[in-house]
Amino acid sequence: MNSIRLALKNIKGTSFRSLVIFLCVMGVAGFFLSTTLILRGTEHSLNVGLERLGADIIVVPEGADTKLESALLMGKPTEIWMPRGIMEQVAAVPGVEKVSPQVFLSTLLGAHCCSASEMFLVVFDPETDFTIRPFLEEELGRGLGRGEVIGGRYVFLPPGDKYIYVYAHPLTLVGNLEKTGTGLDQTMFFTVETAQDIALTSQTKAVEVLNFDSNLISAIMVKTAPGTDPHEVAFDIRMDVAGVESIETPLLFGQYRNQLTGMLWGFLVALGIGWGLSVALIGLVFSMAANERRREISVLRALGATRSFVFRSLLAEVGLLTLGASLLGILVAAVAIYLLSDFISTSMEIPFLFPSWGSFLILCAIGIALALGMVILAALFPALRMSRQEPALAMRE
Amino acid sequence: MKILGVILLLLALTITILPQYNTCAHEGKFITLANGKTIEMKCSWTARAEIAVGSTLAVVGLMMILSRRKESGIFLAILGIVLGVFVILLPTEMIGVCTRMAASCKTLMKPALIGLGSGAIAVSVTALLLAVTGKEKEA
Repeated sequence: MNSIRLALKNIKGTSFRSLVIFLCVMGVAGFFLSTTLILRGTEHSLNVGLERLGADIIVVPEGADTKLESALLMGKPTEIWMPRGIMEQVAAVPGVEKVSPQVFLSTLLGAHCCSASEMFLVVFDPETDFTIRPFLEEELGRGLGRGEVIGGRYVFLPPGDKYIYVYAHPLTLVGNLEKTGTGLDQTMFFTVETAQDIALTSQTKAVEVLNFDSNLISAIMVKTAPGTDPHEVAFDIRMDVAGVESIETPLLFGQYRNQLTGMLWGFLVALGIGWGLSVALIGLVFSMAANERRREISVLRALGATRSFVFRSLLAEVGLLTLGASLLGILVAAVAIYLLSDFISTSMEIPFLFPSWGSFLILCAIGIALALGMVILAALFPALRMSRQEPALAMRE
Repeated sequence: MKILGVILLLLALTITILPQYNTCAHEGKFITLANGKTIEMKCSWTARAEIAVGSTLAVVGLMMILSRRKESGIFLAILGIVLGVFVILLPTEMIGVCTRMAASCKTLMKPALIGLGSGAIAVSVTALLLAVTGKEKEA
């Protein structure tokens, strides 16, 4: 009989002890994966959202940076306005390659073409735009036409309808952007011409009139020239243009990232305590089992089993238990997080996007390693003690 | 086999009860027709259909606990798999849930039913394998 078969027989023979260890390991592995998945998912969502913005710097009116962050992050309604003329001043700053305005037109509440309760209407200028256009070129091979819109992941054509009606104006949804987990998923993008048409229709047909002033903009997307430092350019914009705030996109959601770091530390402390308690509990269970099994081990030794065989079979027993438990814990946690991602996002009010397969597999490997380390550490001393006992002495006791 | 029957019974009870508290109607949201009448949204119908599927699955679980014959074990396991598939299909393909992202029927009920249905299928497949490979018990 090899050590694995002996370990399997031992697991079957001591079902209660095995179940305690199994549940302990499953809990630690599941807890580790679920919390890290949520944190990584939030970070991934922020990074994808920033990438989608496609600008190096975003210029907003002074004091509106928090409003912009809450709008982009969680889709909170916002009203930010500044004169269009500022765009020329920003474009004149050294190091600025391209500028393009965006207008956060309004927020629709309970729109039946959006699965989120609030939907943003964002107007962009097709002449200067460099953020939406690359996606349009890739997906449609052309720009957006008059009356056409492109939506975030949560924007859809209501069943049975040909058009999305915004302020009673019919719009054609030509495509959806990939999911980001941020407020961009509930955003509808269209051109200035379409915005003017909507405003015109709303005056005669809509319940509420849409006011669109082409001289006002909400934000300026800035692309810096190659070889320039975006940090210096952002500083120069703040110095040269009065009444504006320039935010480097990698620094967006800074406050939120600080909260995430705090959460990460809290989670590490909780995990450390749980891990330590589990090591102590499993160690205790194994020590008790060591005393119970002294005679059994002695018989094995008397029958010719070497110390290393006994040691290996004991470690194989916990190793098999841990591997099975951590795999099940990780599977349950991963499936639960994947299925409940929308629930997590809405109930905890955090952006969330399931991490890439690569980082998911790395997290799984860390979870299994953590569980294996925990159990081997807890079982090492009792296993060594059991394998080193003198058979004759143990059998006499 | 008995442990699998208990797990299936617990899953079936959750499938039956959980959706009843996660519908838009339970949150006081209805569709108002032009004539002023209110009707329940489709998540309510999914929840009702899950009562039928869940309670049948509970009976399967109960029978699995009591069953001793190999053939009945196989039959019950196959029934469990079919019912598990229906648990998943009701909120995803056959009836569906509401499209609003914040609705608990979409964020909680649907994923929970997919998870529970998958669990029921996994338990039933295990029971099937055990029934096919295992020996028949004496009555």
